[in-house]
Amino acid sequence: MTELSTAAQSVSPQVGAKIAVRDLDFHYADFHAVKNIHMDIPERKVTAIIGPSGCGKSTLLRVFNRIYAIYPKQRADGQVLLDGENILDSDYSLNRLRSKVGMVFQKPVPFPMTIFENVAYGIRHHENLSRAQMDERVEQALRAAALWDEVKDKLKRSALGLSGGQQQRLCIARGIALKPEVLLLDEPTSALDPIATGRIEQLIEELKRDYTIVIVTHNMQQAARVSDETAFMYMGELIEFGDTEKIFTKPDKKQTEDYITGRFG
Amino acid sequence: MSALVYRRRFAKNIVAQLLASAAALLALIFLGWILWVTVSRGVQAIGVPLFTKITAYADQGGLANAIVGSFIIDMMAIALCAPIGVLAGAYLAEYARGTRLGETIRFLNDILLSAPSIVIGLFVYVIVVLPMTAATDGAVTFSALAGSIALALIGLPVIVRTTDEMLQLVPSTLREAALSLGIPQWKLTVQVLMRAAGSGILTGVLLALARLAGETAPLLFTAFGNNYMTFGPLSKMASLPAAIYQYTNDPNPALHAIAWAGALLITLFVLALSLLARAVFARRKTSHD
Repeated sequence: MTELSTAAQSVSPQVGAKIAVRDLDFHYADFHAVKNIHMDIPERKVTAIIGPSGCGKSTLLRVFNRIYAIYPKQRADGQVLLDGENILDSDYSLNRLRSKVGMVFQKPVPFPMTIFENVAYGIRHHENLSRAQMDERVEQALRAAALWDEVKDKLKRSALGLSGGQQQRLCIARGIALKPEVLLLDEPTSALDPIATGRIEQLIEELKRDYTIVIVTHNMQQAARVSDETAFMYMGELIEFGDTEKIFTKPDKKQTEDYITGRFG
Repeated sequence: MSALVYRRRFAKNIVAQLLASAAALLALIFLGWILWVTVSRGVQAIGVPLFTKITAYADQGGLANAIVGSFIIDMMAIALCAPIGVLAGAYLAEYARGTRLGETIRFLNDILLSAPSIVIGLFVYVIVVLPMTAATDGAVTFSALAGSIALALIGLPVIVRTTDEMLQLVPSTLREAALSLGIPQWKLTVQVLMRAAGSGILTGVLLALARLAGETAPLLFTAFGNNYMTFGPLSKMASLPAAIYQYTNDPNPALHAIAWAGALLITLFVLALSLLARAVFARRKTSHD
Protein backbone atom coordinates (compact mmCIF):
# COMPACT_ATOMS: atom_id res chain seq x y z
CA MET A 1 0.00 0.00 0.00
CA THR A 2 2.67 2.49 1.03
CA GLU A 3 4.79 1.39 -1.93
CA LEU A 4 1.92 2.14 -4.28
CA SER A 5 1.33 5.58 -2.88
CA THR A 6 4.99 6.62 -3.11
CA ALA A 7 5.10 5.35 -6.68
CA ALA A 8 2.01 7.36 -7.60
CA GLN A 9 3.39 10.42 -5.87
CA SER A 10 6.70 10.31 -7.72
CA VAL A 11 5.25 10.20 -11.22
CA SER A 12 3.34 13.47 -11.23
CA PRO A 13 5.39 16.51 -10.32
CA GLN A 14 4.57 18.45 -7.19
CA VAL A 15 2.51 21.58 -7.57
CA GLY A 16 4.84 24.54 -8.16
CA ALA A 17 7.67 22.38 -9.51
CA LYS A 18 9.44 23.93 -12.48
CA ILE A 19 11.69 20.99 -13.15
CA ALA A 20 10.78 17.46 -12.17
CA VAL A 21 13.54 14.88 -12.34
CA ARG A 22 12.44 11.23 -12.63
CA ASP A 23 14.62 8.10 -12.59
CA LEU A 24 17.58 10.04 -13.93
CA ASP A 25 20.79 8.13 -14.59
CA PHE A 26 23.88 9.58 -16.18
CA HIS A 27 26.88 7.82 -17.69
CA TYR A 28 30.26 9.10 -18.79
CA ALA A 29 31.07 6.16 -21.08
CA ASP A 30 31.18 3.33 -18.48
CA PHE A 31 31.16 5.49 -15.38
CA HIS A 32 27.77 5.73 -13.67
CA ALA A 33 27.99 9.32 -12.40
CA VAL A 34 24.41 10.09 -11.39
CA LYS A 35 22.12 7.39 -10.03
CA ASN A 36 18.35 7.23 -10.08
CA ILE A 37 17.60 10.83 -9.13
CA HIS A 38 14.11 12.01 -8.21
CA MET A 39 13.63 15.65 -7.38
CA ASP A 40 11.21 18.53 -7.87
CA ILE A 41 12.80 21.92 -8.30
CA PRO A 42 10.39 24.68 -7.23
CA GLU A 43 9.60 27.64 -9.45
CA ARG A 44 11.09 31.07 -8.66
CA LYS A 45 13.17 29.79 -5.82
CA VAL A 46 16.87 29.18 -5.45
CA THR A 47 17.78 25.51 -5.26
CA ALA A 48 21.34 24.70 -4.22
CA ILE A 49 23.05 21.42 -4.99
CA ILE A 50 25.90 20.63 -2.62
CA GLY A 51 28.19 17.69 -2.07
CA PRO A 52 31.85 16.71 -2.18
CA SER A 53 33.88 16.84 -5.41
CA GLY A 54 32.87 14.17 -7.87
CA CYS A 55 29.46 13.59 -6.30
CA GLY A 56 27.68 14.34 -9.57
CA LYS A 57 26.26 17.76 -8.73
CA SER A 58 27.66 19.54 -11.80
CA THR A 59 26.74 16.56 -13.94
CA LEU A 60 23.15 16.82 -12.78
CA LEU A 61 23.08 20.54 -13.56
CA ARG A 62 24.50 19.94 -17.04
CA VAL A 63 21.58 17.63 -17.81
CA PHE A 64 19.07 20.46 -17.33
CA ASN A 65 20.09 22.20 -20.56
CA ARG A 66 21.51 19.11 -22.27
CA ILE A 67 24.91 20.75 -22.66
CA TYR A 68 26.48 17.35 -21.96
CA ALA A 69 25.14 16.23 -25.36
CA ILE A 70 28.02 17.89 -27.21
CA TYR A 71 30.30 15.15 -25.89
CA PRO A 72 29.71 11.86 -27.70
CA LYS A 73 30.25 9.45 -24.82
CA GLN A 74 27.93 11.07 -22.29
CA ARG A 75 24.43 9.72 -21.84
CA ALA A 76 21.40 10.59 -19.72
CA ASP A 77 18.50 8.20 -19.18
CA GLY A 78 15.21 8.89 -17.44
CA GLN A 79 13.08 11.99 -17.49
CA VAL A 80 13.61 15.65 -16.80
CA LEU A 81 10.28 17.42 -17.05
CA LEU A 82 10.38 21.15 -17.67
CA ASP A 83 6.82 22.40 -17.20
CA GLY A 84 5.71 18.81 -17.67
CA GLU A 85 7.58 18.19 -20.95
CA ASN A 86 10.50 15.80 -21.06
CA ILE A 87 13.56 17.74 -22.24
CA LEU A 88 15.55 14.53 -22.72
CA ASP A 89 13.12 13.54 -25.44
CA SER A 90 14.96 13.94 -28.74
CA ASP A 91 11.87 15.72 -30.10
CA TYR A 92 12.41 18.55 -27.62
CA SER A 93 14.26 21.18 -29.65
CA LEU A 94 17.63 22.25 -28.27
CA ASN A 95 16.98 25.76 -29.49
CA ARG A 96 13.80 25.97 -27.46
CA LEU A 97 15.40 24.35 -24.42
CA ARG A 98 18.36 26.68 -24.40
CA SER A 99 16.26 29.78 -24.81
CA LYS A 100 14.31 28.66 -21.72
CA VAL A 101 17.24 27.46 -19.62
CA GLY A 102 20.31 29.70 -19.32
CA MET A 103 23.64 28.67 -17.86
CA VAL A 104 26.56 30.41 -16.17
CA PHE A 105 29.84 28.57 -15.73
CA GLN A 106 32.53 28.29 -13.11
CA LYS A 107 35.00 30.51 -14.91
CA PRO A 108 33.71 33.63 -16.60
CA VAL A 109 33.82 33.05 -20.37
CA PRO A 110 33.08 36.28 -22.21
CA PHE A 111 33.04 36.01 -26.00
CA PRO A 112 35.91 37.78 -27.79
CA MET A 113 33.61 40.68 -28.69
CA THR A 114 32.54 44.03 -27.31
CA ILE A 115 30.57 44.20 -24.07
CA PHE A 116 27.44 45.14 -26.01
CA GLU A 117 27.88 42.32 -28.52
CA ASN A 118 28.38 39.76 -25.75
CA VAL A 119 24.82 40.42 -24.58
CA ALA A 120 23.29 41.08 -28.00
CA TYR A 121 24.81 38.01 -29.65
CA GLY A 122 22.48 35.45 -28.13
CA ILE A 123 19.38 37.63 -28.49
CA ARG A 124 20.10 38.17 -32.18
CA HIS A 125 20.03 34.43 -32.79
CA HIS A 126 16.58 33.98 -31.28
CA GLU A 127 14.82 37.25 -32.07
CA ASN A 128 14.74 39.90 -34.75
CA LEU A 129 14.90 43.23 -32.96
CA SER A 130 15.28 46.78 -34.21
CA ARG A 131 18.32 48.74 -33.11
CA ALA A 132 16.40 50.66 -30.48
CA GLN A 133 14.77 47.51 -29.12
CA MET A 134 18.14 45.78 -28.99
CA ASP A 135 19.73 48.70 -27.14
CA GLU A 136 16.92 48.54 -24.63
CA ARG A 137 17.19 44.78 -24.17
CA VAL A 138 20.93 44.94 -23.64
CA GLU A 139 20.56 47.74 -21.11
CA GLN A 140 17.83 45.82 -19.30
CA ALA A 141 19.98 42.70 -19.08
CA LEU A 142 23.03 44.62 -17.89
CA ARG A 143 20.93 46.43 -15.27
CA ALA A 144 19.43 43.15 -14.10
CA ALA A 145 22.95 41.76 -13.74
CA ALA A 146 23.97 44.87 -11.72
CA LEU A 147 26.63 45.75 -14.25
CA TRP A 148 25.09 48.63 -16.20
CA ASP A 149 26.56 51.48 -14.15
CA GLU A 150 30.07 50.10 -14.50
CA VAL A 151 30.00 49.51 -18.25
CA LYS A 152 27.49 51.97 -19.73
CA ASP A 153 30.31 54.24 -20.99
CA LYS A 154 32.38 51.46 -22.53
CA LEU A 155 29.87 49.20 -24.24
CA LYS A 156 31.96 49.24 -27.43
CA ARG A 157 35.09 48.01 -25.67
CA SER A 158 36.23 44.40 -25.57
CA ALA A 159 34.68 42.33 -22.81
CA LEU A 160 38.07 40.73 -22.22
CA GLY A 161 39.19 43.94 -20.50
CA LEU A 162 36.68 43.61 -17.66
CA SER A 163 37.62 42.25 -14.24
CA GLY A 164 36.76 38.64 -13.37
CA GLY A 165 33.73 39.63 -11.30
CA GLN A 166 32.49 41.97 -14.01
CA GLN A 167 33.00 39.28 -16.63
CA GLN A 168 30.93 36.85 -14.58
CA ARG A 169 28.11 39.39 -14.22
CA LEU A 170 28.35 39.94 -17.98
CA CYS A 171 27.87 36.19 -18.45
CA ILE A 172 24.81 36.36 -16.21
CA ALA A 173 23.53 39.33 -18.24
CA ARG A 174 24.13 37.38 -21.42
CA GLY A 175 22.10 34.49 -20.00
CA ILE A 176 19.15 36.54 -18.76
CA ALA A 177 19.07 38.64 -21.94
CA LEU A 178 17.34 35.69 -23.61
CA LYS A 179 14.57 35.95 -20.97
CA PRO A 180 14.95 32.35 -19.86
CA GLU A 181 12.75 30.76 -17.22
CA VAL A 182 15.49 28.81 -15.49
CA LEU A 183 19.04 29.91 -14.71
CA LEU A 184 21.67 27.27 -14.01
CA LEU A 185 24.73 28.46 -12.09
CA ASP A 186 27.67 26.08 -11.97
CA GLU A 187 29.88 27.27 -9.10
CA PRO A 188 29.56 30.82 -10.39
CA THR A 189 31.75 32.42 -7.75
CA SER A 190 34.53 29.88 -7.32
CA ALA A 191 36.92 31.94 -9.45
CA LEU A 192 36.00 35.27 -7.81
CA ASP A 193 37.23 37.25 -4.83
CA PRO A 194 34.95 37.76 -1.78
CA ILE A 195 33.69 41.18 -2.86
CA ALA A 196 32.75 40.01 -6.34
CA THR A 197 31.21 36.90 -4.76
CA GLY A 198 29.10 39.10 -2.49
CA ARG A 199 27.76 41.04 -5.47
CA ILE A 200 26.83 37.85 -7.34
CA GLU A 201 25.05 36.45 -4.28
CA GLN A 202 23.10 39.67 -3.89
CA LEU A 203 22.22 39.42 -7.56
CA ILE A 204 20.96 35.84 -7.15
CA GLU A 205 18.68 37.07 -4.38
CA GLU A 206 17.21 39.68 -6.77
CA LEU A 207 16.97 37.36 -9.75
CA LYS A 208 14.88 34.73 -8.01
CA ARG A 209 11.84 37.00 -8.27
CA ASP A 210 11.81 36.31 -12.01
CA TYR A 211 13.74 33.11 -12.49
CA THR A 212 13.96 29.60 -11.19
CA ILE A 213 17.59 29.29 -10.12
CA VAL A 214 19.61 26.14 -9.62
CA ILE A 215 23.09 26.69 -8.21
CA VAL A 216 25.84 24.17 -7.74
CA THR A 217 28.31 25.21 -5.10
CA HIS A 218 31.26 23.92 -3.17
CA ASN A 219 30.75 26.52 -0.56
CA MET A 220 28.25 25.44 2.10
CA GLN A 221 27.95 28.90 3.61
CA GLN A 222 26.99 30.15 0.18
CA ALA A 223 24.31 27.48 -0.18
CA ALA A 224 22.97 28.41 3.25
CA ARG A 225 22.98 32.14 2.41
CA VAL A 226 21.40 32.14 -1.03
CA SER A 227 19.17 29.11 -1.38
CA ASP A 228 15.63 28.22 -0.38
CA GLU A 229 16.02 24.53 -1.00
CA THR A 230 19.14 22.41 -0.76
CA ALA A 231 19.97 19.06 -2.29
CA PHE A 232 22.84 17.04 -0.87
CA MET A 233 24.47 14.59 -3.25
CA TYR A 234 27.02 11.91 -2.51
CA MET A 235 28.59 9.38 -4.90
CA GLY A 236 26.03 10.10 -7.60
CA GLU A 237 23.01 9.74 -5.36
CA LEU A 238 20.64 12.32 -4.02
CA ILE A 239 20.91 11.76 -0.28
CA GLU A 240 18.60 14.44 0.97
CA PHE A 241 16.61 17.28 -0.51
CA GLY A 242 14.50 19.84 1.29
CA ASP A 243 14.20 23.20 2.90
CA THR A 244 17.64 24.80 3.25
CA GLU A 245 17.16 25.74 6.87
CA LYS A 246 16.15 22.21 7.75
CA ILE A 247 19.04 20.65 5.81
CA PHE A 248 21.53 22.86 7.63
CA THR A 249 20.03 22.56 11.10
CA LYS A 250 18.15 19.25 11.41
CA PRO A 251 19.04 17.00 8.47
CA ASP A 252 17.24 13.66 8.41
CA LYS A 253 20.23 11.66 7.21
CA LYS A 254 23.45 10.99 9.07
CA GLN A 255 25.54 11.45 5.88
CA THR A 256 24.09 14.92 5.35
CA GLU A 257 24.86 15.88 8.91
CA ASP A 258 28.42 14.60 8.63
CA TYR A 259 29.00 16.63 5.47
CA ILE A 260 27.35 19.80 6.78
CA THR A 261 29.34 19.69 9.98
CA GLY A 262 32.56 19.13 8.06
CA ARG A 263 33.24 15.58 9.14
CA PHE A 264 34.02 14.62 5.53
CA GLY A 265 34.07 16.04 2.02
CA MET B 1 82.10 5.82 -3.31
CA SER B 2 79.19 8.23 -3.53
CA ALA B 3 81.58 11.10 -4.27
CA LEU B 4 82.75 9.11 -7.28
CA VAL B 5 79.15 8.66 -8.49
CA TYR B 6 78.53 12.39 -8.18
CA ARG B 7 81.74 13.24 -9.97
CA ARG B 8 80.84 10.85 -12.78
CA ARG B 9 77.37 12.37 -13.10
CA PHE B 10 78.86 15.82 -13.10
CA ALA B 11 81.24 14.86 -15.90
CA LYS B 12 78.43 13.27 -17.91
CA ASN B 13 76.38 16.41 -17.52
CA ILE B 14 79.26 18.56 -18.78
CA VAL B 15 79.75 16.31 -21.80
CA ALA B 16 76.04 16.33 -22.67
CA GLN B 17 75.87 20.08 -22.29
CA LEU B 18 78.93 20.59 -24.51
CA LEU B 19 77.59 18.30 -27.25
CA ALA B 20 74.19 19.99 -27.25
CA SER B 21 75.72 23.46 -27.31
CA ALA B 22 78.10 22.49 -30.11
CA ALA B 23 75.21 21.13 -32.18
CA ALA B 24 73.19 24.32 -31.66
CA LEU B 25 76.22 26.42 -32.55
CA LEU B 26 76.85 24.40 -35.71
CA ALA B 27 73.25 24.94 -36.86
CA LEU B 28 73.55 28.67 -36.13
CA ILE B 29 76.88 28.93 -37.96
CA PHE B 30 75.35 27.58 -41.16
CA LEU B 31 72.30 29.81 -40.84
CA GLY B 32 74.54 32.83 -40.32
CA TRP B 33 76.77 31.77 -43.19
CA ILE B 34 73.83 31.37 -45.58
CA LEU B 35 72.51 34.79 -44.60
CA TRP B 36 75.94 36.36 -44.95
CA VAL B 37 76.56 34.89 -48.41
CA THR B 38 73.06 35.87 -49.57
CA VAL B 39 73.36 39.41 -48.31
CA SER B 40 76.95 40.06 -49.36
CA ARG B 41 76.47 38.69 -52.86
CA GLY B 42 72.92 39.93 -53.23
CA VAL B 43 73.58 43.59 -52.48
CA GLN B 44 76.01 43.84 -55.41
CA ALA B 45 73.19 43.68 -57.96
CA ILE B 46 70.63 45.61 -55.90
CA GLY B 47 69.80 48.82 -57.69
CA VAL B 48 67.04 50.61 -59.52
CA PRO B 49 67.28 48.46 -62.71
CA LEU B 50 66.65 45.33 -60.64
CA PHE B 51 63.14 46.58 -59.94
CA THR B 52 62.43 48.35 -63.24
CA LYS B 53 63.90 46.17 -65.98
CA ILE B 54 62.68 42.76 -67.05
CA THR B 55 64.67 39.57 -67.47
CA ALA B 56 64.51 39.79 -71.30
CA TYR B 57 67.49 42.20 -71.13
CA ALA B 58 69.53 39.43 -69.46
CA ASP B 59 72.64 40.87 -67.78
CA GLN B 60 71.56 44.40 -68.76
CA GLY B 61 68.18 43.82 -67.17
CA GLY B 62 66.61 43.20 -63.80
CA LEU B 63 63.94 41.08 -62.19
CA ALA B 64 60.88 43.35 -62.51
CA ASN B 65 58.76 40.72 -64.28
CA ALA B 66 59.85 38.01 -61.84
CA ILE B 67 59.01 40.18 -58.82
CA VAL B 68 55.56 41.02 -60.20
CA GLY B 69 55.04 37.42 -61.30
CA SER B 70 55.97 36.02 -57.90
CA PHE B 71 53.65 38.50 -56.25
CA ILE B 72 50.71 37.54 -58.48
CA ILE B 73 51.32 33.78 -58.24
CA ASP B 74 51.84 33.85 -54.45
CA MET B 75 48.76 35.97 -53.84
CA MET B 76 46.59 33.75 -56.03
CA ALA B 77 48.01 30.70 -54.24
CA ILE B 78 47.24 32.06 -50.78
CA ALA B 79 43.78 33.17 -51.95
CA LEU B 80 43.16 29.60 -53.07
CA CYS B 81 44.51 27.75 -50.04
CA ALA B 82 43.64 30.07 -47.14
CA PRO B 83 39.82 29.69 -47.25
CA ILE B 84 39.97 25.95 -47.92
CA GLY B 85 42.67 25.43 -45.30
CA VAL B 86 40.87 27.41 -42.60
CA LEU B 87 37.58 25.62 -43.25
CA ALA B 88 39.28 22.22 -43.31
CA GLY B 89 41.08 23.03 -40.05
CA ALA B 90 37.76 24.09 -38.53
CA TYR B 91 36.22 20.82 -39.67
CA LEU B 92 39.01 18.84 -37.99
CA ALA B 93 38.92 20.78 -34.74
CA GLU B 94 35.17 21.31 -34.37
CA TYR B 95 33.27 18.67 -36.30
CA ALA B 96 35.64 15.71 -36.49
CA ARG B 97 36.98 15.98 -32.93
CA GLY B 98 37.93 12.54 -31.66
CA THR B 99 36.54 10.70 -34.69
CA ARG B 100 38.47 8.16 -36.71
CA LEU B 101 37.78 10.08 -39.92
CA GLY B 102 39.25 13.22 -38.36
CA GLU B 103 42.37 11.37 -37.22
CA THR B 104 42.82 9.90 -40.70
CA ILE B 105 42.49 13.28 -42.40
CA ARG B 106 44.93 14.81 -39.91
CA PHE B 107 47.42 12.04 -40.68
CA LEU B 108 47.04 12.48 -44.46
CA ASN B 109 47.43 16.22 -44.05
CA ASP B 110 50.73 15.67 -42.25
CA ILE B 111 51.88 13.54 -45.16
CA LEU B 112 50.96 16.32 -47.59
CA LEU B 113 52.89 18.69 -45.33
CA SER B 114 56.08 16.78 -45.98
CA ALA B 115 55.41 15.79 -49.60
CA PRO B 116 58.37 16.61 -51.91
CA SER B 117 57.47 19.79 -53.77
CA ILE B 118 58.65 18.40 -57.09
CA VAL B 119 55.96 15.72 -56.79
CA ILE B 120 53.34 18.40 -56.29
CA GLY B 121 54.69 20.24 -59.36
CA LEU B 122 54.42 17.08 -61.47
CA PHE B 123 50.96 16.36 -60.08
CA VAL B 124 49.66 19.79 -61.10
CA TYR B 125 51.37 19.40 -64.48
CA VAL B 126 49.36 16.23 -65.08
CA ILE B 127 46.12 17.43 -63.48
CA VAL B 128 46.02 21.03 -64.73
CA VAL B 129 48.60 21.81 -67.43
CA LEU B 130 48.06 18.81 -69.71
CA PRO B 131 44.23 18.88 -69.68
CA MET B 132 44.28 22.66 -70.25
CA THR B 133 46.63 22.24 -73.20
CA ALA B 134 44.33 19.60 -74.67
CA ALA B 135 41.16 21.59 -74.02
CA THR B 136 42.48 24.79 -75.61
CA ASP B 137 44.32 23.09 -78.45
CA GLY B 138 47.62 24.38 -77.16
CA ALA B 139 46.52 28.02 -76.77
CA VAL B 140 46.99 27.73 -73.01
CA THR B 141 49.77 25.48 -71.77
CA PHE B 142 51.82 26.45 -68.76
CA SER B 143 50.06 29.15 -66.73
CA ALA B 144 50.35 31.29 -63.64
CA LEU B 145 47.12 29.69 -62.46
CA ALA B 146 48.68 26.22 -62.59
CA GLY B 147 51.65 27.62 -60.63
CA SER B 148 49.30 29.06 -58.02
CA ILE B 149 47.47 25.76 -57.68
CA ALA B 150 50.78 23.97 -57.11
CA LEU B 151 51.87 26.51 -54.49
CA ALA B 152 48.41 26.38 -52.90
CA LEU B 153 48.95 22.65 -52.36
CA ILE B 154 52.19 23.50 -50.55
CA GLY B 155 50.50 26.09 -48.31
CA LEU B 156 47.28 24.17 -47.70
CA PRO B 157 48.53 21.61 -45.14
CA VAL B 158 50.32 24.34 -43.17
CA ILE B 159 47.09 26.30 -42.82
CA VAL B 160 44.98 23.22 -42.05
CA ARG B 161 47.34 22.24 -39.28
CA THR B 162 47.71 25.62 -37.60
CA THR B 163 43.97 26.32 -37.80
CA ASP B 164 43.23 22.92 -36.29
CA GLU B 165 45.75 23.45 -33.48
CA MET B 166 44.72 27.02 -32.73
CA LEU B 167 41.04 26.09 -32.51
CA GLN B 168 41.86 23.18 -30.22
CA LEU B 169 43.58 25.63 -27.87
CA VAL B 170 40.33 27.57 -27.39
CA PRO B 171 38.93 26.43 -24.03
CA SER B 172 35.88 24.17 -24.31
CA THR B 173 34.04 26.39 -21.83
CA LEU B 174 33.72 29.00 -24.58
CA ARG B 175 31.98 26.39 -26.75
CA GLU B 176 29.69 25.38 -23.91
CA ALA B 177 28.85 29.01 -23.14
CA ALA B 178 27.83 29.73 -26.72
CA LEU B 179 25.95 26.45 -27.19
CA SER B 180 24.05 27.00 -23.95
CA LEU B 181 22.70 30.23 -25.46
CA GLY B 182 21.30 28.10 -28.26
CA ILE B 183 23.90 29.31 -30.77
CA PRO B 184 24.26 26.64 -33.49
CA GLN B 185 27.60 24.95 -34.12
CA TRP B 186 28.42 26.75 -37.38
CA LYS B 187 27.81 30.19 -35.89
CA LEU B 188 29.82 29.25 -32.84
CA THR B 189 32.70 28.12 -35.05
CA VAL B 190 32.75 31.09 -37.40
CA GLN B 191 31.74 33.94 -35.11
CA VAL B 192 33.11 32.96 -31.72
CA LEU B 193 35.89 30.37 -32.00
CA MET B 194 37.52 31.71 -35.15
CA ARG B 195 37.53 35.15 -33.60
CA ALA B 196 39.07 33.80 -30.41
CA ALA B 197 41.71 31.94 -32.44
CA GLY B 198 41.90 34.64 -35.11
CA SER B 199 45.46 35.83 -34.70
CA GLY B 200 46.73 32.26 -34.42
CA ILE B 201 44.97 31.36 -37.66
CA LEU B 202 46.32 34.50 -39.36
CA THR B 203 49.81 33.53 -38.19
CA GLY B 204 49.35 30.16 -39.89
CA VAL B 205 48.33 31.85 -43.15
CA LEU B 206 51.37 34.15 -43.02
CA LEU B 207 53.70 31.23 -42.36
CA ALA B 208 52.13 29.32 -45.24
CA LEU B 209 52.77 32.32 -47.49
CA ALA B 210 56.39 32.42 -46.31
CA ARG B 211 56.70 28.72 -47.03
CA LEU B 212 55.25 28.77 -50.54
CA ALA B 213 57.03 31.99 -51.57
CA GLY B 214 60.38 30.20 -51.58
CA GLU B 215 59.32 27.15 -53.59
CA THR B 216 60.92 26.59 -57.02
CA ALA B 217 60.20 23.03 -58.07
CA PRO B 218 56.38 23.30 -58.19
CA LEU B 219 56.68 26.30 -60.52
CA LEU B 220 58.98 24.77 -63.14
CA PHE B 221 56.29 22.52 -64.68
CA THR B 222 53.40 24.89 -64.06
CA ALA B 223 54.00 28.65 -64.35
CA PHE B 224 57.16 27.76 -66.27
CA GLY B 225 58.72 31.22 -66.41
CA ASN B 226 58.72 34.12 -68.82
CA ASN B 227 61.30 36.70 -69.87
CA TYR B 228 58.58 39.32 -70.33
CA MET B 229 56.12 40.97 -68.02
CA THR B 230 52.78 39.13 -67.97
CA PHE B 231 49.73 39.69 -65.79
CA GLY B 232 47.17 37.20 -67.08
CA PRO B 233 46.60 34.10 -64.94
CA LEU B 234 46.47 31.91 -68.05
CA SER B 235 49.82 33.07 -69.44
CA LYS B 236 53.27 31.73 -68.64
CA MET B 237 54.61 33.87 -65.88
CA ALA B 238 58.03 34.71 -64.47
CA SER B 239 58.73 34.20 -60.79
CA LEU B 240 61.71 34.92 -58.54
CA PRO B 241 62.57 31.30 -57.70
CA ALA B 242 62.30 30.21 -61.34
CA ALA B 243 64.41 33.19 -62.50
CA ILE B 244 67.07 32.39 -59.90
CA TYR B 245 67.10 28.77 -61.03
CA GLN B 246 67.45 29.84 -64.66
CA TYR B 247 70.24 32.38 -63.95
CA THR B 248 72.34 30.15 -61.75
CA ASN B 249 72.44 27.61 -64.59
CA ASP B 250 73.90 30.26 -66.91
CA PRO B 251 77.66 30.65 -67.37
CA ASN B 252 77.42 34.47 -67.33
CA PRO B 253 78.64 35.74 -63.90
CA ALA B 254 76.58 38.95 -64.25
CA LEU B 255 73.46 36.81 -64.22
CA HIS B 256 74.69 35.06 -61.07
CA ALA B 257 74.82 38.44 -59.35
CA ILE B 258 71.22 39.14 -60.34
CA ALA B 259 70.22 35.67 -59.10
CA TRP B 260 71.83 36.46 -55.72
CA ALA B 261 69.88 39.71 -55.57
CA GLY B 262 66.71 37.74 -56.25
CA ALA B 263 67.59 35.29 -53.50
CA LEU B 264 68.12 38.23 -51.14
CA LEU B 265 64.67 39.62 -52.04
CA ILE B 266 62.98 36.30 -51.25
CA THR B 267 64.93 35.98 -48.01
CA LEU B 268 63.92 39.48 -46.92
CA PHE B 269 60.29 38.81 -47.85
CA VAL B 270 60.20 35.58 -45.86
CA LEU B 271 61.97 37.26 -42.94
CA ALA B 272 59.45 40.11 -42.98
CA LEU B 273 56.56 37.61 -43.04
CA SER B 274 58.02 35.68 -40.11
CA LEU B 275 58.44 38.86 -38.09
CA LEU B 276 54.90 39.93 -38.95
CA ALA B 277 53.60 36.49 -37.93
CA ARG B 278 55.41 36.78 -34.59
CA ALA B 279 54.01 40.24 -34.01
CA VAL B 280 50.47 39.08 -34.80
CA PHE B 281 50.86 36.08 -32.50
CA ALA B 282 52.30 38.18 -29.67
CA ARG B 283 49.29 40.49 -29.84
CA ARG B 284 47.04 37.45 -29.37
CA LYS B 285 48.66 36.63 -26.03
CA THR B 286 48.21 40.08 -24.55
CA SER B 287 44.63 40.51 -25.76
CA HIS B 288 43.53 37.34 -23.99
CA ASP B 289 44.79 38.20 -20.55
